[in-house]
Amino acid sequence: MTSYLTRRLSRVALVGSAAVAAMLLSACGNGLASGGGEKSDDGPIVLGMLTPLSGSSSAIGPYMKNGAQLAVDELNAKGGVNGRKLELKVEDEACDAKSATAGANKLVTAGVKISVGGYCSGATLPTLPIFEKAGVPMLIPAANSNELVAQHKKNVFLINGTGAQQSDAALKFMKKEGATKVALMDDNTSYSKDIADTTAKLLTGSPALAGRESVTAGESDYSANVNAILKGQPDFIYWTGYYQEGGLIIRQLRQAGYHGKIMVADGSVDQKLVDIAGPEAAEGVFATMTQTPETIQGAEKWIADYKSKFGAAPGPYSTQAYDAVRVAAEAVTKAGSTDGDAVIKALEAIDGFPLFSGPLKFTPDHTLSSGGFQILVVGNGKIVLKDPLQ
Amino acid sequence: MTQLLWNGLFVGSFYALVALGYTMVYGIIRLLNFAHGDLYMLGAFVGFGVLSVAGGLATGLGFVALLIVLIIAMLVTGTAGLLLERVAYRPLRDAPRLSVLITAVGASFAIEYGMRLVAGPNPEVYPVRLAGDPVNLLGARITVQQVSLILIAILLMAGLQWLVMGTETGRAMRAISQDPTAALYMGINVDAVIARTFFIGSALAGAAGVMAGSYYGKIDFLMGFVIGLKAFTAAVIGGIGNIKGAMLGGLTLGLLESIGTAWIGGQWRDVFAFTFLIIFLTLRPTGILGERVTERV
Repeated sequence: MTSYLTRRLSRVALVGSAAVAAMLLSACGNGLASGGGEKSDDGPIVLGMLTPLSGSSSAIGPYMKNGAQLAVDELNAKGGVNGRKLELKVEDEACDAKSATAGANKLVTAGVKISVGGYCSGATLPTLPIFEKAGVPMLIPAANSNELVAQHKKNVFLINGTGAQQSDAALKFMKKEGATKVALMDDNTSYSKDIADTTAKLLTGSPALAGRESVTAGESDYSANVNAILKGQPDFIYWTGYYQEGGLIIRQLRQAGYHGKIMVADGSVDQKLVDIAGPEAAEGVFATMTQTPETIQGAEKWIADYKSKFGAAPGPYSTQAYDAVRVAAEAVTKAGSTDGDAVIKALEAIDGFPLFSGPLKFTPDHTLSSGGFQILVVGNGKIVLKDPLQ
Repeated sequence: MTQLLWNGLFVGSFYALVALGYTMVYGIIRLLNFAHGDLYMLGAFVGFGVLSVAGGLATGLGFVALLIVLIIAMLVTGTAGLLLERVAYRPLRDAPRLSVLITAVGASFAIEYGMRLVAGPNPEVYPVRLAGDPVNLLGARITVQQVSLILIAILLMAGLQWLVMGTETGRAMRAISQDPTAALYMGINVDAVIARTFFIGSALAGAAGVMAGSYYGKIDFLMGFVIGLKAFTAAVIGGIGNIKGAMLGGLTLGLLESIGTAWIGGQWRDVFAFTFLIIFLTLRPTGILGERVTERV
């Protein structure tokens, strides 16, 4: 599965760069022909968002889209940015590298000035060079693999805590719970393996690493993996993949007679996790997660605004998408233009801008200085806040 | 160790049920029906639909309800198999084999993404779940539900064996597999028998789909892809075209995966299982029971 994915990724990257080359050529052509069509400085500033609207993570798409739209509408009601209105363009990322590169190219040709999307790390990764070549700064609200940071692209900023920060939070909570032998399970995707790797590096003294296991996503029976992981006799198991497999693994761990603690990472935080595992098996399962609207104190008015506008409750990454748009607007205001380099400088200079996760100041790596991860727990079949880890 | 064997046998019986459809179709018309795994998915969704409509009634009846649902799903997927054969394969029976292979791949995508249009891209959860308290037997944790699912699988396989070896239809199937033209001259309605083969093979895949849905709980429109590949592998291990071979192949693959995971870790499981497969097929290209398949000129 890994080799298949990497093969697909590299092919996609190739196709992507070819498309970028073609697009740059056509952009030059436009410039020559129209003699500076960019002069429409009073037109709307277009923000682009890639988010999963189909595929396995399609439940997340509307949450992110509506969160961003709410911020756009609020800013426009206040007169926009530098006298110009904001406009949000959304493309489907489908949690799939192919769809994501196609969507990124579409956004760039549509004249997007800042990207405020990106959910699945594996799908977001190949879009980085596309936006970079077009000079478009990216404020990524959800995707948070360390691989995104490791590219050291100057146009990439992460609004979500990173995988490393998630691992730190996980370790902190494992210690609090008195875990001694921790086993890690991942699904071999970029995002999942990344968290498992960084967590494994932290598990040196106590708690100690009691085994690692990678599963193949998309199967039904994980009893062999469960059997292998229980050989190390762990008292705490951390699953770093997505909820579809997570639900099955929790259920099969309990069926195999495991009574210890189970924790999942943010990709598994979804009510479907509880449905798939069954409420009994899922009861008491912990999760590392960035703030969701329900767990933020003082967000009641924001939630009410969101509900009255979209007729549905906000969900995971609604707040981060909302914040990404606000940060983008702030940077454009400070920069006084939508020029990519000026906006990047303005983003780097931001200090103390209020986000849901706390005051914003980017690190030299363009990540949040504090991840804002907290611990959730499944209680009576619902995912609720357990420990804000402050 | 007994736990490993039990896990392997349990997964293997699912592989075997799906592999039977592959091997029957291949044995008779030399076609690799790549849409077969998707009929498994279709079965799981039909079961889900029926259980959701029946609602509280089904939850009350439990296992009996699942048996009824199993039969309904088998009838529906069997009919879907008939349709598939009529639309995608029969018009191409005299065409080069590659063309049929491509229509099979096309049919697979059509079923997968057709189901996505109907049921949506998100995974669904079965309303009735088979879960019970495990019993310890020789160091393995075994539930009554697991045993009953294996029993159903064995019953279905035994029924198929009887059908192919002991009935008129079965004799016609075997005749067509040896020589379709001669079978036609002997007065066998070749089209009808092939259609029946598709019905039976697809119904078995549908049954496996309902069983997987009710045991594991989660179903989605792409669930047939991986198991389709695994079942195809099982059919080849056992000797493609051979019914007993498909059963043996399914169990072998299940055991290989289970033992491979335990010995060298989950990320190496497929490497282990498929390296074994390559070595085995190099030494014995016809599979475990494949010697009865004779190449026609």
